[in-house]
Amino acid sequence: MASAPLRFASLAIVGFLAITCFDIATGLEHWPFGSYPMYSLTHTDRLSWLRLYGVTDAGEIPLRGERDLAPFDQSRLVMALNRLQSAPGGNRKLDEALRNLMQLYSRRNAQHGNAGPPLRALRLYAVSWVLRPGMQGSEPGERILIAQTGDGTER
Amino acid sequence: MNRHWHRYWFTPATAEHLALARIVTYGLLFAIYLPLDDRGWTQVSPVFWMPVSVFHVLSGPPRNSVLIGALQILWKTSLLTSAIGLFSRISTLTAAALGFFLLGLPNCFGKIHHLDGFPVLVLCILALSPCADIWSADGALWRKPETRTGVSWQYGWPVRLAQTLFLLTFFAAGWAKLWHGGLAWMTATNMRSIWLGELFTHTPPTRLGSYFARWGWLCQFAAITTVIVELAALPALFARRLRVPTLAGLFGLQVLIALMLGVYFTPSLVGYALFLPLERCQRVLARFVP
Repeated sequence: MASAPLRFASLAIVGFLAITCFDIATGLEHWPFGSYPMYSLTHTDRLSWLRLYGVTDAGEIPLRGERDLAPFDQSRLVMALNRLQSAPGGNRKLDEALRNLMQLYSRRNAQHGNAGPPLRALRLYAVSWVLRPGMQGSEPGERILIAQTGDGTER
Repeated sequence: MNRHWHRYWFTPATAEHLALARIVTYGLLFAIYLPLDDRGWTQVSPVFWMPVSVFHVLSGPPRNSVLIGALQILWKTSLLTSAIGLFSRISTLTAAALGFFLLGLPNCFGKIHHLDGFPVLVLCILALSPCADIWSADGALWRKPETRTGVSWQYGWPVRLAQTLFLLTFFAAGWAKLWHGGLAWMTATNMRSIWLGELFTHTPPTRLGSYFARWGWLCQFAAITTVIVELAALPALFARRLRVPTLAGLFGLQVLIALMLGVYFTPSLVGYALFLPLERCQRVLARFVP
């Protein structure tokens, strides 16, 4: 006859293992458990990715999640924008999201003593590249404007 | 079956071994998460709110940055007090509950980062275990002389469960690649595209991805090796001989991912630490700690 502490430990082990194995088998995510699907999709030599550009008086500047739009990091921000874009009412949600991102940028500038130039507008592009060995990551790609907020008129 | 189950999970271990695992785990987590600051999420629009797991019970993102700041201080303090074994029961429970909330919160804004899931599981396991029966501030301050320590089944299963879940995360990653990508995942084209694509989508600290992508055979080798090493995590659970080479391979893989893709699996250090020969440190420590 197992003691109560032994039964409790067995139950805890079974519980942890059951959720872990369920997520692995089904591909579902019950955080903090998960199916760990990062990088599991196959990739071709054509890459398409969302990128944010700030419009300043001097023109457009690329923005990075962790540097300019904290607390977002780059991959979380892009994934979130992708999900908003494909959600019902995507255009309205993207507008609201971009307005909030401009606020985050301005707030960060105020807190860090003008770490970057002030933005007049924010633009979201879908950028695509044909990947070739030797690329460095700085090559410009083909851009399609997805959404914009603020005063984006060229000066 | 019952005998194998008991032998795998409940082989007796010393109280010192579990105590050392407690000190290393909470100490590492404290150091890793000291810079964590979730207050910024209170400024993010509810339009980004995409809750995961039990965060669905919240009606929206938290708005009170002072409260989040206070919870962070409490959490980090509880990690420290759990490491030294002060107010152990309440400390370990607080560390688990607040760790769940604070590490889970960012995942509710569009994407789950899989770095922080395992530490939360370890916090939950240790909170359920008698990890502060020995080598704790509580023991030095308040322990009654009759408190039982020594060798028991109670001291083995928490570390064994944490080790098992750690290796299963890698097996899951390997399995997901075959499940979603099939054999096509293990082609040179796929690996090359991942390496080169990350140069545009992340900020890796080196340009090794660009350099290595020149050689098709190397891309092919890396793709196949990645899947094999990750899948080897499952048999490594049962075959002791496989464990060290598999862990070394997984660690090397994560170092290369950090260098080439700019994804840092720092919290995984906790998992690797659980496989260290703690009993050797235990013998050395036992000379100095009563």
